Amino acid sequence: MGEDYDVVVVGAGFGGPVAAHKCASAGLKTLVLERSITPGDKVVSGLVIPFYGFLFAPPFIRDGNPPLQKPIRKVVNHFVKNGEIYASDKSLWLPPPLALTYSAYCEPMCVWLADRAVEAGAELRTSTAVMDLIMEQDRVKGVVTDKGDEIRAKVVIDAAGTQDGLALKAGLRRKLPPDALELYMLWDFEMAKEDVDSTFGNSVEFYCAMPDEKITAPLGYGSTFYIFTYRESIHPGLGQFLVTEGKIPHVARLLEEYFENFTNTVSRWKNDIAPKLKLRAKMFDVCPIYAGLDRRIREMPIYGEGMLIIGDAAAMESSAFGDGVPNAWFSGAIAGDVAVEAVKAGDASASFLRRYDERVKAHSVISASLSDTRRWDMRWALPGNDEREMRRRAHELFGRGVWRYRHITGQVLREMKTVLSRDPMVAGKWMKMFNRYNRNCESGYSDPPSSYEPAPKAGIYSEGREAVIA
Amino acid sequence: MTKTYQDFPGVEWVEGSGRHISVAPERCDGCGNCVRVCLAKCFKISSKKAVVDNLDMCMECGACWYVCAPEAILFSWPPGGTGFRTRWG
Repeated sequence: MGEDYDVVVVGAGFGGPVAAHKCASAGLKTLVLERSITPGDKVVSGLVIPFYGFLFAPPFIRDGNPPLQKPIRKVVNHFVKNGEIYASDKSLWLPPPLALTYSAYCEPMCVWLADRAVEAGAELRTSTAVMDLIMEQDRVKGVVTDKGDEIRAKVVIDAAGTQDGLALKAGLRRKLPPDALELYMLWDFEMAKEDVDSTFGNSVEFYCAMPDEKITAPLGYGSTFYIFTYRESIHPGLGQFLVTEGKIPHVARLLEEYFENFTNTVSRWKNDIAPKLKLRAKMFDVCPIYAGLDRRIREMPIYGEGMLIIGDAAAMESSAFGDGVPNAWFSGAIAGDVAVEAVKAGDASASFLRRYDERVKAHSVISASLSDTRRWDMRWALPGNDEREMRRRAHELFGRGVWRYRHITGQVLREMKTVLSRDPMVAGKWMKMFNRYNRNCESGYSDPPSSYEPAPKAGIYSEGREAVIA
Repeated sequence: MTKTYQDFPGVEWVEGSGRHISVAPERCDGCGNCVRVCLAKCFKISSKKAVVDNLDMCMECGACWYVCAPEAILFSWPPGGTGFRTRWG
């Protein structure tokens, strides 16, 4: 009871540890609260982190050895009809040692990030859920845990993820509307490294089909069937909007149906992929989708009296590619800086913290990723079953069209130029990073975790519906 | 104590999560949205009202909470260290 910190960060996912790292490095008394036993063991995602996340995030990520799985150098868009691939767009690729994106498992990534925050001096308390806020005259003054402990803080950084309830309790944000959310299901299959390499190389695959094929949800790329590739496994998944044409369909049944149709009809899956697989895990979760294109969500505040909201808790899912980690890192870093300034100035009022909002809005990559419409635009191919239009749109999004000097890609290239003009030596650090990540992905090396017990390899051993592992 | 279920290999549930999701019957209009979005089959309709059948396989995604227009579903985190966990997410 009666604990007192400079900064309390709620959530040790992707953004929380970055914010905590900033605060602790600046000497602030920083506490990270995480409701799961091990950081990341409640994070469910088909996780691929685009290269620009690593380029522009705090240098400890770029210069470290995070537990990455595979450098992804090519995006393959398959167009499917009657179970057969009738065309493929493989025009988006980068040569080694570069990579478009890196696949990773959430748990080891979050553990790695939390370790860095702890090294910097932050305190981490796991198995601790934050249930409420300490509010005094409409100001956030701290948090209340599930054990009833009251922990006071000058600044609370809310990094609690999509289903965050704290910003609602603070009266800052509202529950996300269901039409801005998707439910997604994903699978993890073991696959020998040689098989992953010979079947996929360093590519990820997207399967696009018209709605009547019933193998992907009917809104184009928001909900495509994807296969992400890992070192010795693959991670297929698909999602469905919670609301379609104004109604809430039987999403649970549709997702099972799409997956069954996909695995039963798509010949590449049946012949080339499935025989080499062993099912290891099946999971689901809800995430925001196209939140940045939604005015109702954009207008919700991301700061308040004594509180900053980062990453998915602030609905910063990128409309461009559906990724959330780079924006969680960028916003986490900005929030960390602002919290340090606020504590030093002795002012955590909303008018002081407004600079967080201003810097997030001025961050060219965050704002471009939130407002990029190309993935959303895939849907315009669907009326009239226009296959040519679908292929054209896919080429714009995950084909060579991506390099056109505009929007997210343009902003990433411009940001690279800006960073390099400030400090040309960064180029060498980036190249070292690409090379080191390559070697690490090949060998499976990462900085060893400090002190967490990984989640047990549950499930695969269970026989009955209620097999109990003691 | 932890549990696993064949429907969701690779995931385990740590006991003690309690009833972190509940339905306020006076607000429920029986629309069934929660039943339609729950992959863990947590809900059933009984006498034209949604009720939580069991939260055994709940992965705390909140889909039920988001689709509940009359705000009848109450959703909160289970206590720290309980509920689902996986290393394959």
